Amino acid sequence: MTDTDGTLFAQVRDPENRADPYPLYTRLRAQPVARQDDGTWVASGYAAIRALLHDPRVSSEDLPPAEHPATGNPIKDFFVNPIKDWITDRHRPFIFRDPPDHGLLRRQVMGQFTVARVRGMKRRTEALVDECLRARAGATRFDLVDDLAYPLPVTVICEMLGVPREDEARFHAWATQLATALEPESRNDEDLRARNTETFDAIAAYMRDLIREKRRAPADDMLSGLATTKDAQAGRMSDPDLVATAILLLIAGHETTVNLITNGMLTLLRHPDELARLRADPERAPRVIEELLRYEPPVHFRTRLTRAPIPVGDVTIPEGVPLVLLFAAGNRDPARFPDPDRFDPDREDNQHFGFGGALHYCVGAPLARIEAEAALTALVARLREPRLVEDPPPYRAGASLRGPERLLLDIRGIA
Amino acid sequence: MRVVVDLNRCQAYAQCCYAAPERFVLQGDEILAYDPAPPAAERAAIDRAVQACPVRAIRVEHDETAERAA
Repeated sequence: MTDTDGTLFAQVRDPENRADPYPLYTRLRAQPVARQDDGTWVASGYAAIRALLHDPRVSSEDLPPAEHPATGNPIKDFFVNPIKDWITDRHRPFIFRDPPDHGLLRRQVMGQFTVARVRGMKRRTEALVDECLRARAGATRFDLVDDLAYPLPVTVICEMLGVPREDEARFHAWATQLATALEPESRNDEDLRARNTETFDAIAAYMRDLIREKRRAPADDMLSGLATTKDAQAGRMSDPDLVATAILLLIAGHETTVNLITNGMLTLLRHPDELARLRADPERAPRVIEELLRYEPPVHFRTRLTRAPIPVGDVTIPEGVPLVLLFAAGNRDPARFPDPDRFDPDREDNQHFGFGGALHYCVGAPLARIEAEAALTALVARLREPRLVEDPPPYRAGASLRGPERLLLDIRGIA
Repeated sequence: MRVVVDLNRCQAYAQCCYAAPERFVLQGDEILAYDPAPPAAERAAIDRAVQACPVRAIRVEHDETAERAA
Protein backbone atom coordinates (compact mmCIF):
# COMPACT_ATOMS: atom_id res chain seq x y z
CA MET A 1 0.00 0.00 0.00
CA THR A 2 1.19 3.52 -0.76
CA ASP A 3 2.22 5.58 2.22
CA THR A 4 0.52 8.94 1.75
CA ASP A 5 2.16 10.73 4.68
CA GLY A 6 3.47 13.91 3.06
CA THR A 7 5.64 14.81 6.04
CA LEU A 8 8.05 11.91 5.83
CA PHE A 9 10.92 14.03 4.54
CA ALA A 10 10.24 16.65 7.22
CA GLN A 11 10.57 13.81 9.71
CA VAL A 12 13.87 12.80 8.10
CA ARG A 13 15.17 16.30 8.81
CA ASP A 14 13.95 16.20 12.43
CA PRO A 15 17.02 15.68 14.68
CA GLU A 16 14.95 13.17 16.68
CA ASN A 17 15.33 10.76 13.77
CA ARG A 18 19.00 11.41 13.04
CA ALA A 19 20.33 8.22 14.63
CA ASP A 20 18.10 5.98 12.54
CA PRO A 21 16.37 7.54 9.53
CA TYR A 22 16.18 4.18 7.72
CA PRO A 23 12.62 3.21 8.75
CA LEU A 24 11.47 6.55 7.29
CA TYR A 25 13.35 5.77 4.08
CA THR A 26 11.53 2.44 3.85
CA ARG A 27 8.21 4.24 4.13
CA LEU A 28 9.27 6.83 1.53
CA ARG A 29 10.29 4.11 -0.94
CA ALA A 30 6.70 2.79 -0.98
CA GLN A 31 6.30 5.66 -3.45
CA PRO A 32 9.73 5.88 -5.16
CA VAL A 33 9.06 9.49 -6.21
CA ALA A 34 6.73 11.31 -3.83
CA ARG A 35 5.43 14.83 -3.39
CA GLN A 36 5.69 16.17 0.14
CA ASP A 37 3.12 18.50 1.69
CA ASP A 38 5.51 21.44 1.35
CA GLY A 39 5.81 21.04 -2.43
CA THR A 40 9.17 19.33 -2.37
CA TRP A 41 9.54 16.11 -4.36
CA VAL A 42 11.60 13.26 -2.97
CA ALA A 43 13.14 10.44 -5.02
CA SER A 44 13.95 7.50 -2.75
CA GLY A 45 13.82 4.46 -5.06
CA TYR A 46 17.08 3.29 -6.63
CA ALA A 47 15.89 3.24 -10.24
CA ALA A 48 14.27 6.67 -9.96
CA ILE A 49 17.34 8.28 -8.38
CA ARG A 50 19.56 6.78 -11.04
CA ALA A 51 17.36 8.02 -13.87
CA LEU A 52 17.10 11.52 -12.37
CA LEU A 53 20.86 11.74 -11.76
CA HIS A 54 21.39 11.32 -15.50
CA ASP A 55 18.47 13.52 -16.59
CA PRO A 56 19.53 16.85 -18.16
CA ARG A 57 16.20 18.38 -17.09
CA VAL A 58 17.35 18.06 -13.47
CA SER A 59 19.40 21.12 -12.55
CA SER A 60 21.98 21.62 -9.82
CA GLU A 61 21.47 25.38 -9.98
CA ASP A 62 18.90 25.26 -7.23
CA LEU A 63 20.03 28.35 -5.37
CA PRO A 64 17.56 31.21 -5.79
CA PRO A 65 18.77 34.77 -6.29
CA ALA A 66 19.58 36.51 -3.05
CA GLU A 67 16.64 38.88 -3.21
CA HIS A 68 14.26 35.94 -3.49
CA PRO A 69 11.63 36.26 -0.74
CA ALA A 70 10.96 33.45 1.72
CA THR A 71 9.17 30.77 -0.27
CA GLY A 72 7.40 28.93 2.50
CA ASN A 73 9.28 25.94 1.14
CA PRO A 74 11.39 24.30 3.80
CA ILE A 75 14.04 23.03 1.40
CA LYS A 76 14.73 26.49 0.08
CA ASP A 77 14.21 28.28 3.35
CA PHE A 78 16.02 25.80 5.55
CA PHE A 79 18.85 24.72 3.35
CA VAL A 80 19.19 26.97 0.37
CA ASN A 81 18.60 30.50 1.59
CA PRO A 82 21.10 30.27 4.44
CA ILE A 83 23.93 29.38 2.09
CA LYS A 84 22.91 31.73 -0.68
CA ASP A 85 23.97 34.64 1.48
CA TRP A 86 27.56 33.70 1.06
CA ILE A 87 27.49 31.96 -2.29
CA THR A 88 24.85 33.21 -4.71
CA ASP A 89 25.84 36.83 -4.80
CA ARG A 90 29.43 35.89 -5.18
CA HIS A 91 30.33 32.95 -7.37
CA ARG A 92 28.70 29.55 -7.32
CA PRO A 93 31.07 26.66 -6.96
CA PHE A 94 30.65 23.98 -9.62
CA ILE A 95 28.62 21.69 -7.36
CA PHE A 96 25.81 24.25 -7.87
CA ARG A 97 26.27 24.63 -11.62
CA ASP A 98 25.02 22.93 -14.79
CA PRO A 99 26.64 22.29 -18.14
CA PRO A 100 28.45 23.87 -19.84
CA ASP A 101 29.96 25.92 -16.96
CA HIS A 102 30.05 22.93 -14.67
CA GLY A 103 32.09 20.86 -17.10
CA LEU A 104 34.64 23.60 -17.73
CA LEU A 105 35.23 24.27 -14.04
CA ARG A 106 35.24 20.62 -13.09
CA ARG A 107 37.68 19.71 -15.83
CA GLN A 108 40.11 22.31 -14.54
CA VAL A 109 39.84 20.88 -11.04
CA MET A 110 40.30 17.33 -12.31
CA GLY A 111 43.38 18.54 -14.18
CA GLN A 112 44.89 19.33 -10.77
CA PHE A 113 43.39 16.38 -8.91
CA THR A 114 45.84 14.15 -10.71
CA VAL A 115 46.44 10.47 -10.11
CA ALA A 116 50.03 11.24 -9.09
CA ARG A 117 48.99 13.92 -6.62
CA VAL A 118 46.24 11.81 -5.04
CA ARG A 119 48.42 8.69 -4.87
CA GLY A 120 51.15 10.84 -3.40
CA MET A 121 48.89 11.49 -0.40
CA LYS A 122 48.58 7.78 0.45
CA ARG A 123 51.76 7.45 2.50
CA ARG A 124 51.31 10.90 3.92
CA THR A 125 47.79 9.96 5.04
CA GLU A 126 49.08 6.80 6.71
CA ALA A 127 51.72 8.85 8.52
CA LEU A 128 49.09 11.35 9.67
CA VAL A 129 46.90 8.54 11.02
CA ASP A 130 49.93 7.20 12.87
CA GLU A 131 50.58 10.68 14.32
CA CYS A 132 46.99 10.95 15.56
CA LEU A 133 47.14 7.52 17.21
CA ARG A 134 50.55 8.11 18.80
CA ALA A 135 49.32 11.38 20.25
CA ARG A 136 46.78 9.35 22.24
CA ALA A 137 49.06 6.45 23.19
CA GLY A 138 48.20 5.16 26.65
CA ALA A 139 44.67 6.57 26.53
CA THR A 140 41.75 4.49 27.81
CA ARG A 141 39.11 6.76 26.28
CA PHE A 142 39.21 7.75 22.62
CA ASP A 143 36.95 10.21 20.78
CA LEU A 144 37.20 9.05 17.21
CA VAL A 145 35.88 12.38 15.89
CA ASP A 146 38.22 14.75 17.73
CA ASP A 147 41.19 12.42 17.93
CA LEU A 148 41.30 11.29 14.31
CA ALA A 149 38.32 11.59 11.96
CA TYR A 150 38.19 15.39 12.07
CA PRO A 151 41.86 16.41 12.09
CA LEU A 152 42.92 13.95 9.38
CA PRO A 153 40.84 15.23 6.43
CA VAL A 154 41.53 18.89 7.18
CA THR A 155 45.27 18.32 7.08
CA VAL A 156 45.01 16.23 3.92
CA ILE A 157 42.90 18.74 2.00
CA CYS A 158 45.02 21.68 3.15
CA GLU A 159 48.17 19.94 1.93
CA MET A 160 46.52 19.05 -1.38
CA LEU A 161 45.38 22.63 -1.90
CA GLY A 162 48.64 24.12 -0.70
CA VAL A 163 47.45 25.89 2.43
CA PRO A 164 50.43 26.52 4.73
CA ARG A 165 50.43 24.26 7.75
CA GLU A 166 50.39 27.19 10.19
CA ASP A 167 47.01 28.28 8.76
CA GLU A 168 45.33 24.88 9.15
CA ALA A 169 43.75 25.71 12.48
CA ARG A 170 42.03 28.75 10.96
CA PHE A 171 40.77 26.58 8.09
CA HIS A 172 39.42 24.05 10.50
CA ALA A 173 37.44 26.75 12.29
CA TRP A 174 36.20 28.30 9.02
CA ALA A 175 35.04 24.97 7.61
CA THR A 176 33.23 24.08 10.82
CA GLN A 177 31.52 27.46 10.82
CA LEU A 178 30.49 27.38 7.14
CA ALA A 179 29.10 23.85 7.45
CA THR A 180 26.50 25.20 9.88
CA ALA A 181 24.95 27.12 6.96
CA LEU A 182 23.55 23.79 5.78
CA GLU A 183 21.69 23.23 9.03
CA PRO A 184 17.99 24.07 9.42
CA GLU A 185 18.73 26.02 12.60
CA SER A 186 20.57 28.66 10.61
CA ARG A 187 17.31 29.74 8.95
CA ASN A 188 16.05 32.07 11.64
CA ASP A 189 19.28 32.59 13.46
CA GLU A 190 20.42 36.03 12.31
CA ASP A 191 23.60 35.82 14.39
CA LEU A 192 24.55 32.53 12.81
CA ARG A 193 23.90 33.85 9.33
CA ALA A 194 25.91 36.97 10.04
CA ARG A 195 28.77 34.81 11.32
CA ASN A 196 28.64 32.69 8.17
CA THR A 197 28.80 35.76 5.94
CA GLU A 198 31.71 37.09 7.97
CA THR A 199 33.42 33.72 7.73
CA PHE A 200 32.93 33.58 3.98
CA ASP A 201 34.41 37.04 3.61
CA ALA A 202 37.36 36.10 5.80
CA ILE A 203 38.09 32.89 3.96
CA ALA A 204 37.63 34.58 0.56
CA ALA A 205 40.03 37.37 1.51
CA TYR A 206 42.53 34.80 2.74
CA MET A 207 42.17 32.79 -0.48
CA ARG A 208 42.65 35.86 -2.68
CA ASP A 209 45.93 36.58 -0.89
CA LEU A 210 47.02 32.96 -1.08
CA ILE A 211 46.21 32.80 -4.80
CA ARG A 212 48.27 35.94 -5.41
CA GLU A 213 51.12 34.31 -3.52
CA LYS A 214 50.76 31.07 -5.54
CA ARG A 215 50.91 33.04 -8.78
CA ARG A 216 54.06 34.82 -7.59
CA ALA A 217 55.75 31.62 -6.42
CA PRO A 218 53.91 28.53 -7.70
CA ALA A 219 54.42 25.31 -5.72
CA ASP A 220 53.42 21.72 -6.45
CA ASP A 221 49.87 21.99 -5.14
CA MET A 222 46.32 22.28 -6.51
CA LEU A 223 45.87 26.00 -5.87
CA SER A 224 49.10 26.85 -7.66
CA GLY A 225 47.99 24.67 -10.54
CA LEU A 226 44.52 26.21 -10.73
CA ALA A 227 45.90 29.73 -10.43
CA THR A 228 48.49 29.37 -13.18
CA THR A 229 47.11 26.84 -15.68
CA LYS A 230 45.29 28.02 -18.79
CA ASP A 231 42.53 25.69 -19.96
CA ALA A 232 42.43 25.27 -23.76
CA GLN A 233 38.73 26.14 -23.83
CA ALA A 234 38.01 28.12 -20.69
CA GLY A 235 41.28 30.03 -20.37
CA ARG A 236 42.56 30.82 -16.91
CA MET A 237 40.04 30.39 -14.09
CA SER A 238 38.73 33.75 -12.86
CA ASP A 239 39.61 34.80 -9.34
CA PRO A 240 36.00 34.59 -8.06
CA ASP A 241 35.67 31.07 -9.50
CA LEU A 242 39.02 30.15 -8.03
CA VAL A 243 37.95 31.35 -4.59
CA ALA A 244 34.58 29.54 -4.83
CA THR A 245 36.31 26.35 -6.00
CA ALA A 246 38.90 26.45 -3.24
CA ILE A 247 36.22 26.91 -0.58
CA LEU A 248 34.13 24.08 -2.05
CA LEU A 249 37.10 21.70 -2.05
CA LEU A 250 37.98 22.65 1.49
CA ILE A 251 34.49 22.04 2.87
CA ALA A 252 33.72 18.99 0.75
CA GLY A 253 37.08 17.43 1.55
CA HIS A 254 36.50 17.89 5.20
CA GLU A 255 32.89 17.62 6.31
CA THR A 256 32.24 14.38 4.44
CA THR A 257 35.32 12.27 5.08
CA VAL A 258 34.89 12.73 8.81
CA ASN A 259 31.50 11.02 8.47
CA LEU A 260 32.84 8.17 6.35
CA ILE A 261 35.50 7.36 8.95
CA THR A 262 33.23 7.79 11.96
CA ASN A 263 30.21 5.98 10.51
CA GLY A 264 32.64 3.31 9.36
CA MET A 265 34.08 2.59 12.78
CA LEU A 266 30.61 2.77 14.35
CA THR A 267 29.32 0.20 11.86
CA LEU A 268 32.30 -2.10 12.43
CA LEU A 269 31.81 -1.90 16.19
CA ARG A 270 28.18 -2.87 15.68
CA HIS A 271 29.34 -5.83 13.55
CA PRO A 272 32.22 -7.27 15.59
CA ASP A 273 32.64 -10.24 13.26
CA GLU A 274 33.33 -7.86 10.38
CA LEU A 275 35.70 -5.81 12.52
CA ALA A 276 37.62 -8.99 13.34
CA ARG A 277 37.74 -10.02 9.70
CA LEU A 278 39.12 -6.64 8.65
CA ARG A 279 41.73 -6.81 11.41
CA ALA A 280 42.81 -10.26 10.23
CA ASP A 281 42.79 -9.29 6.55
CA PRO A 282 43.41 -5.58 5.80
CA GLU A 283 42.97 -6.34 2.09
CA ARG A 284 39.24 -6.55 2.78
CA ALA A 285 39.28 -2.77 3.31
CA PRO A 286 38.17 -1.79 -0.23
CA ARG A 287 35.11 -4.07 0.05
CA VAL A 288 34.33 -2.84 3.54
CA ILE A 289 34.56 0.78 2.43
CA GLU A 290 32.32 0.36 -0.63
CA GLU A 291 29.73 -1.39 1.55
CA LEU A 292 29.97 1.44 4.11
CA LEU A 293 29.33 3.92 1.32
CA ARG A 294 26.12 2.01 0.57
CA TYR A 295 25.05 1.17 4.10
CA GLU A 296 25.96 4.37 6.00
CA PRO A 297 26.88 7.01 3.39
CA PRO A 298 28.43 10.33 4.51
CA VAL A 299 25.96 12.33 2.38
CA HIS A 300 22.34 11.19 2.60
CA PHE A 301 20.81 13.47 -0.01
CA ARG A 302 21.38 16.34 -2.41
CA THR A 303 18.83 18.80 -3.74
CA ARG A 304 18.12 19.67 -7.35
CA LEU A 305 15.62 21.79 -9.29
CA THR A 306 13.47 20.51 -12.18
CA ARG A 307 13.75 22.52 -15.40
CA ALA A 308 10.83 20.72 -17.12
CA PRO A 309 8.08 18.25 -16.23
CA ILE A 310 9.71 14.84 -15.78
CA PRO A 311 7.73 11.59 -15.95
CA VAL A 312 9.15 8.91 -13.64
CA GLY A 313 7.28 5.64 -13.40
CA ASP A 314 3.62 6.49 -12.91
CA VAL A 315 4.11 10.08 -11.72
CA THR A 316 5.26 13.30 -13.36
CA ILE A 317 7.42 15.70 -11.39
CA PRO A 318 6.35 19.24 -12.34
CA GLU A 319 8.69 21.88 -13.66
CA GLY A 320 10.37 24.27 -11.25
CA VAL A 321 10.12 22.26 -8.05
CA PRO A 322 12.81 21.34 -5.54
CA LEU A 323 13.78 17.70 -5.94
CA VAL A 324 15.59 15.71 -3.27
CA LEU A 325 17.69 12.77 -4.42
CA LEU A 326 17.69 10.61 -1.30
CA PHE A 327 20.81 8.55 -2.00
CA ALA A 328 20.82 6.80 1.36
CA ALA A 329 17.30 5.47 0.70
CA GLY A 330 18.20 4.25 -2.79
CA ASN A 331 21.16 2.46 -1.24
CA ARG A 332 18.73 0.40 0.87
CA ASP A 333 16.25 -0.35 -1.92
CA PRO A 334 15.40 -4.08 -1.80
CA ALA A 335 14.52 -3.94 -5.51
CA ARG A 336 18.21 -3.26 -6.20
CA PHE A 337 20.12 -4.78 -3.26
CA PRO A 338 19.20 -8.17 -1.81
CA ASP A 339 18.78 -8.01 1.96
CA PRO A 340 19.61 -4.26 1.89
CA ASP A 341 19.61 -3.67 5.65
CA ARG A 342 22.39 -6.20 6.12
CA PHE A 343 25.97 -4.88 6.28
CA ASP A 344 27.73 -7.29 3.95
CA PRO A 345 31.14 -6.36 2.50
CA ASP A 346 31.03 -9.51 0.34
CA ARG A 347 28.05 -8.14 -1.57
CA GLU A 348 28.57 -8.29 -5.33
CA ASP A 349 27.48 -5.66 -7.84
CA ASN A 350 27.50 -2.94 -5.21
CA GLN A 351 26.61 0.08 -7.37
CA HIS A 352 25.83 2.43 -4.51
CA PHE A 353 25.16 6.18 -4.50
CA GLY A 354 27.74 6.82 -1.76
CA PHE A 355 29.53 9.33 -3.99
CA GLY A 356 26.42 10.42 -5.91
CA GLY A 357 26.69 9.76 -9.63
CA ALA A 358 26.72 11.07 -13.20
CA LEU A 359 28.24 14.52 -13.89
CA HIS A 360 28.53 15.50 -10.24
CA TYR A 361 30.11 12.25 -9.02
CA CYS A 362 32.29 13.14 -6.03
CA VAL A 363 35.60 14.62 -7.24
CA GLY A 364 37.29 13.58 -4.01
CA ALA A 365 36.18 9.94 -4.06
CA PRO A 366 39.69 8.51 -4.59
CA LEU A 367 41.06 10.64 -1.76
CA ALA A 368 38.18 9.68 0.53
CA ARG A 369 38.87 6.00 -0.14
CA ILE A 370 42.56 6.46 0.71
CA GLU A 371 41.75 8.30 3.94
CA ALA A 372 39.06 5.83 5.01
CA GLU A 373 41.29 2.84 4.32
CA ALA A 374 44.26 4.30 6.19
CA ALA A 375 42.07 5.26 9.17
CA LEU A 376 39.93 2.13 9.47
CA THR A 377 42.71 -0.41 8.98
CA ALA A 378 44.85 1.38 11.58
CA LEU A 379 41.97 1.72 14.04
CA VAL A 380 41.00 -1.96 13.96
CA ALA A 381 44.64 -3.01 14.19
CA ARG A 382 45.74 -0.66 16.94
CA LEU A 383 42.85 0.16 19.28
CA ARG A 384 42.89 -2.51 21.99
CA GLU A 385 39.43 -3.92 22.76
CA PRO A 386 37.47 -0.86 21.62
CA ARG A 387 33.96 -0.60 23.08
CA LEU A 388 31.28 1.94 22.24
CA VAL A 389 30.51 4.15 25.22
CA GLU A 390 27.18 5.36 23.79
CA ASP A 391 25.11 3.67 21.13
CA PRO A 392 23.65 5.47 19.32
CA PRO A 393 26.17 8.30 19.68
CA PRO A 394 25.05 11.94 19.59
CA TYR A 395 24.76 13.21 16.02
CA ARG A 396 25.62 16.53 14.44
CA ALA A 397 22.60 18.51 13.29
CA GLY A 398 22.90 17.79 9.58
CA ALA A 399 20.41 15.43 7.94
CA SER A 400 22.27 15.43 4.63
CA LEU A 401 25.86 15.52 5.84
CA ARG A 402 24.97 13.06 8.58
CA GLY A 403 27.41 11.77 11.14
CA PRO A 404 28.19 11.50 14.86
CA GLU A 405 29.25 14.59 16.76
CA ARG A 406 31.53 12.41 18.83
CA LEU A 407 32.21 8.71 19.00
CA LEU A 408 33.54 7.80 22.43
CA LEU A 409 35.34 4.49 22.73
CA ASP A 410 36.64 2.77 25.83
CA ILE A 411 39.94 1.13 24.95
CA ARG A 412 42.75 -0.72 26.67
CA GLY A 413 45.42 1.42 25.08
CA ILE A 414 46.70 1.93 21.58
CA ALA A 415 49.27 -0.36 20.01
CA MET B 1 45.25 -12.90 -13.74
CA ARG B 2 43.01 -11.76 -16.59
CA VAL B 3 41.23 -8.41 -16.50
CA VAL B 4 38.18 -7.67 -18.65
CA VAL B 5 36.47 -4.28 -18.71
CA ASP B 6 32.99 -4.03 -20.16
CA LEU B 7 33.59 -0.87 -22.19
CA ASN B 8 29.89 -0.50 -22.98
CA ARG B 9 29.26 -0.21 -19.30
CA CYS B 10 32.31 2.00 -18.51
CA GLN B 11 31.34 5.64 -18.01
CA ALA B 12 34.86 6.98 -17.54
CA TYR B 13 34.52 7.74 -13.83
CA ALA B 14 38.28 7.03 -13.73
CA GLN B 15 38.20 5.50 -10.26
CA CYS B 16 40.26 2.52 -11.48
CA CYS B 17 42.97 4.92 -12.69
CA TYR B 18 43.48 6.13 -9.13
CA ALA B 19 43.33 2.61 -7.68
CA ALA B 20 45.78 0.96 -10.10
CA PRO B 21 47.43 3.71 -12.18
CA GLU B 22 49.94 1.32 -13.74
CA ARG B 23 47.15 -0.76 -15.28
CA PHE B 24 44.30 1.63 -16.07
CA VAL B 25 44.71 4.91 -17.95
CA LEU B 26 42.05 7.24 -19.26
CA GLN B 27 42.97 8.58 -22.69
CA GLY B 28 41.36 11.90 -23.42
CA ASP B 29 38.13 12.30 -21.50
CA GLU B 30 36.54 8.94 -21.98
CA ILE B 31 38.59 6.18 -23.56
CA LEU B 32 39.89 3.67 -21.06
CA ALA B 33 43.08 1.77 -21.83
CA TYR B 34 43.97 -1.10 -19.54
CA ASP B 35 46.31 -4.04 -19.13
CA PRO B 36 44.34 -7.26 -19.70
CA ALA B 37 47.05 -9.41 -18.09
CA PRO B 38 48.55 -7.64 -15.07
CA PRO B 39 51.16 -9.41 -12.93
CA ALA B 40 49.80 -11.45 -10.02
CA ALA B 41 51.72 -9.25 -7.59
CA GLU B 42 49.28 -6.42 -8.33
CA ARG B 43 46.26 -8.34 -7.22
CA ALA B 44 45.48 -5.94 -4.35
CA ALA B 45 45.62 -2.86 -6.59
CA ILE B 46 43.45 -4.54 -9.22
CA ASP B 47 40.95 -5.56 -6.55
CA ARG B 48 40.81 -1.92 -5.42
CA ALA B 49 40.00 -0.93 -9.00
CA VAL B 50 37.25 -3.57 -9.23
CA GLN B 51 35.69 -2.42 -5.96
CA ALA B 52 35.99 1.30 -6.73
CA CYS B 53 34.28 1.13 -10.14
CA PRO B 54 30.92 2.92 -9.70
CA VAL B 55 29.32 0.84 -12.48
CA ARG B 56 31.11 -2.42 -11.74
CA ALA B 57 32.49 -2.75 -15.25
CA ILE B 58 35.72 -4.55 -14.30
CA ARG B 59 35.95 -8.33 -14.02
CA VAL B 60 38.97 -10.33 -12.92
CA GLU B 61 39.62 -13.98 -13.65
CA HIS B 62 42.28 -15.58 -11.54
CA ASP B 63 44.21 -18.38 -13.17
CA GLU B 64 45.40 -20.18 -10.05
CA THR B 65 47.59 -22.67 -11.92
CA ALA B 66 49.45 -20.00 -13.85
CA GLU B 67 49.87 -17.91 -10.70
CA ARG B 68 51.35 -20.84 -8.78
CA ALA B 69 53.75 -21.51 -11.65
CA ALA B 70 54.76 -17.84 -11.69
